Amino acid sequence: MTNQNPRQDIAGADVMDSRRTFEIVRAGMKRRQSAEKRFRLYGLLAILLGLTFLSVLFVSIIGNGYTAFAQTYVKIPVYFDPAGIDPEGTRDPDTLNTADYSALVKASLREMFPAVTERGERRELYSIISTGAGFELRDSVLDDPALIGTRQDIWLVADDEIDMLMKGHVDRTVPELDRRVKDNQIAWVDQLNSEGRVEKRFNTNFFLAGDSRDPELAGIRGALVGSFYPLLLTLILSFPIGVAAAVYLEEFAPRNRLTDLIEVNINNLAAVPSIVFGLLGLAVFINFFGLPRSAPIVGAFVLTLMTLPTIIIASRVALKSVPPSIREAALGVGASPMQAMFYHVLPLAMPGMLTGTIIGMAQALGETAPLLMIGMVAFIVSIPGGIFDPATVLPVQIFLWADSPERGFVERTSAAIMVLLAFLILMNAIAVILRKRFERRW
Amino acid sequence: MSSVDTIEEAVQLKRANFKQAAGHMDSLTRKQEQRETEGDVRVENPRLRCNDVNVYYGEKHAVMGVNLDIGRNEVIAMIGPSGCGKSTFLRCLNRMNDTIVGCRVTGQIFMDEQDINASGIDVVPLRATVGMVFQKPNPFPKSIWENVAFGPRIHGLAQNKAELEEMVVTSLQRAGLWEEVKDRLEQPGTGLSGGQQQRLCIARTIAVNPEVILMDEPCSALDPIATAVIEDLIDELRELYSIVIVTHSMQQAARVSQRTAYFHLGNLIEVGETTQIFTNPVHKLTEDYITGRFG
Ligand SMILES: Nc1ncnc2c1ncn2[C@@H]1O[C@H](COP(=O)(O)OP(=O)(O)O)[C@@H](O)[C@H]1O
Ligand SMILES: [Mg+2]
Repeated sequence: MTNQNPRQDIAGADVMDSRRTFEIVRAGMKRRQSAEKRFRLYGLLAILLGLTFLSVLFVSIIGNGYTAFAQTYVKIPVYFDPAGIDPEGTRDPDTLNTADYSALVKASLREMFPAVTERGERRELYSIISTGAGFELRDSVLDDPALIGTRQDIWLVADDEIDMLMKGHVDRTVPELDRRVKDNQIAWVDQLNSEGRVEKRFNTNFFLAGDSRDPELAGIRGALVGSFYPLLLTLILSFPIGVAAAVYLEEFAPRNRLTDLIEVNINNLAAVPSIVFGLLGLAVFINFFGLPRSAPIVGAFVLTLMTLPTIIIASRVALKSVPPSIREAALGVGASPMQAMFYHVLPLAMPGMLTGTIIGMAQALGETAPLLMIGMVAFIVSIPGGIFDPATVLPVQIFLWADSPERGFVERTSAAIMVLLAFLILMNAIAVILRKRFERRW
Repeated sequence: MSSVDTIEEAVQLKRANFKQAAGHMDSLTRKQEQRETEGDVRVENPRLRCNDVNVYYGEKHAVMGVNLDIGRNEVIAMIGPSGCGKSTFLRCLNRMNDTIVGCRVTGQIFMDEQDINASGIDVVPLRATVGMVFQKPNPFPKSIWENVAFGPRIHGLAQNKAELEEMVVTSLQRAGLWEEVKDRLEQPGTGLSGGQQQRLCIARTIAVNPEVILMDEPCSALDPIATAVIEDLIDELRELYSIVIVTHSMQQAARVSQRTAYFHLGNLIEVGETTQIFTNPVHKLTEDYITGRFG
């Protein structure tokens, strides 16, 4: 059986026809194209959904928190009464320190509102001004004892309830009994306001003060410093240890059961819930080594344990991504493995390692649970002066404030979240910049 | 219709072909035993002398009992079908196989009466003496100057900056790259063309002043013009160094080498003067390969 067409001699000639292939492919094109379009649409929808949630988050946090950056102040004529502050006229710092300055504020208020005579009403009058005002007056007197005996118009921090009133968070139509700000207080504040004695100013207190029971006096400086020490120490500990471990495991360690086991366990550690690290820190560093509770140093140790796996894994990936030809080239001219490592491989892996480290540090900055375990959840007013002082960290501060009933803490919680987010964004931006700078893919 | 018949016939034909091919494969793989080498593996006063070199990748016996001398100031070419163990053998000569996990080398390779595989021999001085140029140009992602200066610097070959400068310049000149890059030494080596990159790698290798240069298919990633430049260069470099070059191009082997070694399935089948191998091979396998019957 001979055939004219040579193609016919080959098996399956009629199913294997290029014209037929073309027809089939063309017939299916429409379906393929619409599948492609659908897939793109899904992707777009996913991104839009993500962006929506993100903007809802940002809008609600910023909407709740931005008012915390302003604080209501009241201008009051204060008479620095020598009889009250320094009856003997010695100007002895001890005497000046222990004098009752809030009495000065109260006296001024009584003077301003002579009609208020009843005890309970007077207490309500006094509570317009924050209890911290006395300390403010004390500090200015200690700074300048010449103030004693003079009369000064002084801007004093208003109480948080008044602050809320001024910021419009108090609904005046609600029955008086259901409000914390009373009608007479509202009247006094309105009067002061009409005299130009009430003003909202930038809330420097929020950035300069430590924690307080009074929202108007509470600030995040203590938490910021308390976050800074453990973070710095964590970086100092975990970056060199993590990179060294990654380099050893990736470049020098023999491949055997033991290194396999180590590898598996590093990956496991990365997945261990952080609270477990907190318990470990409590048991080992505090109970066994006797380090102080609530101290940044213990926090740093715990956070180091937590970030190490992240850094090691990221560093190993970075090392793996360096092309083997670079190593071969270096070894080929007689470089020792260490020279090949330090001259060529490490610089190329550095961007990846730094990115991993910064991501690990950002995680550490936002970590709360393990720090609760080691006692960094305490109410600490003073700003920590070192790594052994009791401290609290920013996320724990947020947790503490979020737990407080005062309305003033609501906006402060959001404001603290904004500060935390700002730091996280900053750190990630640094990661991007570092990566760009070090990335010299010639 | 006759098409059914045609298809059945064709299928049968295919089956038969397949069986035949499988049988051929079988014969190829089954016959993987050690064989004697044709030709004279020894030369007078060799630079390197290999005695019964075997390489195993785990269970796989990749190079089988190779005996071969590398002479002084000669270019020896290694040819053979892909996967026959040319690269593997080449990498024995500067112990680059050490870097491969699961790779085991036995036998002796003598350099100046010293077995480089003996225990206690450090690979650093060996690799400084036996340099290597790889298949794919692999300059460091640093400046041209840094690329060439790296070797002398880590070995401490230069006493001062001026000497280092001279080494870099000389190496680039010997590699025939100087004229092209003298104005751009600070620019990245990876920015050069493929052929220039490969010559940069050669310059980097000769900057440490080795005695032997190993080249593993140095031109396989290059265009014909760049290849011709490198071939000329290899011919010039012969005056100073012994060169072992693996190539899949028989023309290249014929053009640049004085001796040629033919490998087949891990065996060194035949060694001889290049002209003799290409005109008058002794072994049947060599002849088949040279005449293009397989490869
Ligand atoms: N790293 C390795 N691991 C396992 N087997 C390898 C490795 N490198 C090469 N081989 C095997 O060794 C044999 C020789 O390889 P190679 O020396 O690269 O051949 P050639 O260079 O002649 O093409 C091949 O069969 C290859 O599959
Ligand atoms: Mg090869």
